[in-house]
Amino acid sequence: MPNQYHEAERAIAGTGMGGTMDLGVDEAETLGKRPGPDGGGPQEPPRSLWSDAWRDLRRNPVFIVSALVICFLVLISLWPSAIASGSPLTCDLSKAQQGSQSGHPFGFDGQGCDVYTRTVYGARTSVAVGVLATLGVTVLGSVLGALAGFFGGVWDSVLSRITDVFFAIPVVLGGLVLLSVITSNTIWPVIGFIVLLGWPQISRIARGAVITAKQNDYVQAARALGASHSRLVLRHIAPNAVAPVIVVATIALGTYIALEATLSYLGVGLKPPSVSWGIDISAASPYIRNAPHALLWPSGALAITVLAFIMLGDAVRDALDPKLR
Amino acid sequence: MTEPILEVSDLVKHYPLTRGTVFRKQAGAVRAVDGVDLRLGRGETLGIVGESGCGKSTVAKMLVNLERPTAGSIRYKGEDITRLSGRALKAVRRNIQMVFQDPYTSLNPRMTVGDIIGEPYDIHPEVAPKGDRRRKVRELLDVVGLNPEYINRYPHQFSGGQRQRIGIARGLALRPEVIVADEPVSALDVSVQAQVVNLMDRLQSEFDLAYVFIAHDLSVVRHISDRVGVMYLGRIVETGTDTEIYDHPTHPYTQALLSAVPVPDPGAREHRERIILSGDVPSPTDIPSGCRFRTRCWKARERCALEVPALAVPATFAAAGGPAAHDSACHFAEERHVVPEGRHGGGPG
Amino acid sequence: MLLEVRDLHVEFHTRDGVAKAVNGVGYRVDEGETLAVLGESGSGKSVTAQAIMGILDVPPGRVTGGEVVFQGRDLLTLKEDERRRIRGAEMAMIFQDALSSLNPVLTVGDQLGEMFTVHRGMSRKQARAEAVELMDRVRIPAARERVGQYPHQFSGGMRQRIMIAMALALEPALIIADEPTTALDVTVQAQVMELLAELRREYRMGLVLITHDLGVVADVADRIAVMYAGRIVESAPVHDIYKAPAHPYTRGLLDSIPRLDRKGQELYAIKGLPPNLMSIPPGCAFHPRCPLARDVCRTDEPPLYQVSATRGSACHFWRECLDD
Repeated sequence: MPNQYHEAERAIAGTGMGGTMDLGVDEAETLGKRPGPDGGGPQEPPRSLWSDAWRDLRRNPVFIVSALVICFLVLISLWPSAIASGSPLTCDLSKAQQGSQSGHPFGFDGQGCDVYTRTVYGARTSVAVGVLATLGVTVLGSVLGALAGFFGGVWDSVLSRITDVFFAIPVVLGGLVLLSVITSNTIWPVIGFIVLLGWPQISRIARGAVITAKQNDYVQAARALGASHSRLVLRHIAPNAVAPVIVVATIALGTYIALEATLSYLGVGLKPPSVSWGIDISAASPYIRNAPHALLWPSGALAITVLAFIMLGDAVRDALDPKLR
Repeated sequence: MTEPILEVSDLVKHYPLTRGTVFRKQAGAVRAVDGVDLRLGRGETLGIVGESGCGKSTVAKMLVNLERPTAGSIRYKGEDITRLSGRALKAVRRNIQMVFQDPYTSLNPRMTVGDIIGEPYDIHPEVAPKGDRRRKVRELLDVVGLNPEYINRYPHQFSGGQRQRIGIARGLALRPEVIVADEPVSALDVSVQAQVVNLMDRLQSEFDLAYVFIAHDLSVVRHISDRVGVMYLGRIVETGTDTEIYDHPTHPYTQALLSAVPVPDPGAREHRERIILSGDVPSPTDIPSGCRFRTRCWKARERCALEVPALAVPATFAAAGGPAAHDSACHFAEERHVVPEGRHGGGPG
Repeated sequence: MLLEVRDLHVEFHTRDGVAKAVNGVGYRVDEGETLAVLGESGSGKSVTAQAIMGILDVPPGRVTGGEVVFQGRDLLTLKEDERRRIRGAEMAMIFQDALSSLNPVLTVGDQLGEMFTVHRGMSRKQARAEAVELMDRVRIPAARERVGQYPHQFSGGMRQRIMIAMALALEPALIIADEPTTALDVTVQAQVMELLAELRREYRMGLVLITHDLGVVADVADRIAVMYAGRIVESAPVHDIYKAPAHPYTRGLLDSIPRLDRKGQELYAIKGLPPNLMSIPPGCAFHPRCPLARDVCRTDEPPLYQVSATRGSACHFWRECLDD
């Protein structure tokens, strides 16, 4: 066997082969004159789905606005003190329910805390919960979904039934039951709960995307070469299946932020003295007639944040959807 | 025939049809391939023709070990490769490579041409030392008639014919002895198809390749093949050299198939005899008894429903010899001339 | 004369630029005649048909010039609702992919019957009877039983028959068939082509057959128009073209197909690739691939020269090509 191999080796390296075939030279020449074989003008840089999508996104005002909002949110959740000098926990009951005044543009809530400072610090909780929960959901969901899609069979049947069970759990009711027994007042129980209920959504998407990608001939081609399972998944399937997962995860991030607020509002998410928009909305709602501003600002911040992530996900989906091209 | 490099005997692939998701039970089977024998000599081209659903692509997948046969054996140089796994299977895979039909889905859109053609070396690192791979990929691009400067481009920047060349280069990278090509030119335009057929012809003699060339286009198969097998509903119904099959067909299905091919010669249309088959191909889940072609055959008699015709030289021709004496699975085989003599003086020059 | 296309231009606006898909196409079809429009992918043959039918996707497509004269009227100047009345009733189209052209959630009987309820104002019951009769006429066995079945319950060949039945329903004067048998197996293809030819004779319809298959063309066409880069490069009666092509592209195509009746040597291959529609070469669009090309081909676009009373060739050197 090694002999044949070397023979072929020499044949290909030999001089008779190089540029002497009529066909090869002809085509190479034609190509040389037209650097973009299919695509158009000269000096066209190599393009991929992602760079195409980026070109679309840069021109999309929805994307630009939502991306700016999200950048701002991330910045203030990393460095809240940069724009809010006080502490969200310093409250003065004597100023309770007072309106906007110098140094306190959003006024005070029922406990006399500065609404502006609390709204700024609340972003940190929301962004942290949203990002960490999405990370967890995406990792767990795509790994399980990809395995089910790739191996199929029993794996797939079992996983599909499990996702059905999780889909059947009402989220808020589940949260009230599960989280009410937990006493820890950190963001982790909330994140854990969201991951627990959120992964089936991503796993379904990932499973579908993997099954679609798996059927492509290039995956068969790699299998015929003797590629290992990990190579097939990591090199051939995953890069062609991530787009829908990213889109759904971005949209889900917005809804997780809303979910955290809901749970905190209901008293099972974060509890005071933690700072969260949900807690503030909950605390402000009894005083809605006297101090509507205390409700308005955290709810407004929440709505804008959720909307920004959902719009970003929408824009990314449109940019990645080849059918719209 | 030369010593066979690939020998397939009684190859069977049944896909079970199941009901239920958690508790599965079998409710029949798709008999995609139902007892196929093939022999491929070194440096030879075996053409397999047949209509969609006849099982020719499934045979191709089993030859390159993408599907495991339900029964039967595939011997590569005497060794049955259907039972191999792990390292031994990987070693055999190096020698039997595949070229796919669709140049648009057979190349990973996220990889550059260099990565695609170089991937065989990543999987079989013993073939080429790391530092040498780029050079080898460039050589391969050159061999298949593409500019080696395109090594960093992505597949979507190429036309269909160029992509098929990339697929062929990938198939050649490990210096296989056998290439299984499943409809390699049927997705291409006529003018590009000729380029790729010529390329495959040239590579065959340069690298001493044996081809299993699967296609539905009978003219292309005749052009490239030394021997031809005609498949119908999971079995080979007739096999022989290209002259035996095209000029002296004895199986009624082959005759109908050949007579239905439109010939680029308007002069042929008046005096041409067409065998128009009635009905459709039966479902592979419900194959007729006896001869599987009998439901569409104009010669079918009672015997055809009872007895499965064997693929062998029919007794009527065996004694006389000559080109009609080749394997044909028909109880009532008779020679019939169906391909009109062309007047159109095409061809090169 | 039934249909005449004159100097038709169609462009597609994409984000990469303007693709000139059709650049001055002209052809005519007489009553009862079969015109084959032959071309490879990207030649503009299907886009021309869509522009004639008025089913071009606008945007990105746009007809930028020309006339489509059908039974004496220029269709391009008609209003959309007038064109809609012509579609289906006076000219109909058959597509390559019958499965995606039929609605999967309606029975074939409903889809065939719709032609009669919408255009002829028939009752559902009458329309159903007409549908059965049509299915009989395109030789679908057991039409009465199968009229209530869904498209996926039919085989590919049978579905294409249903498409043909739909096109025939209102007995149009012209049928445009876009690669009607490309997706079918060769034995089924023979059945369908024969059926189409027979029905065309029976109804005396004009047929525009769009295809890339030189074999199919030789079997059924009266005349051929060969398209390349959105133009007609050769137009002639079918026998003339196969005997002696008057354009190097046609000659190249004919020479590049392998033969069924004998094993040939190396195939002739037209070098290079079809042009990019965003940057069609100046002069003759075929010159980069042409063995006869000279300087004049790079600068001057050839008109459709009159080769004989019935033939035209868009090659400066058609005489040489014929003699060759």
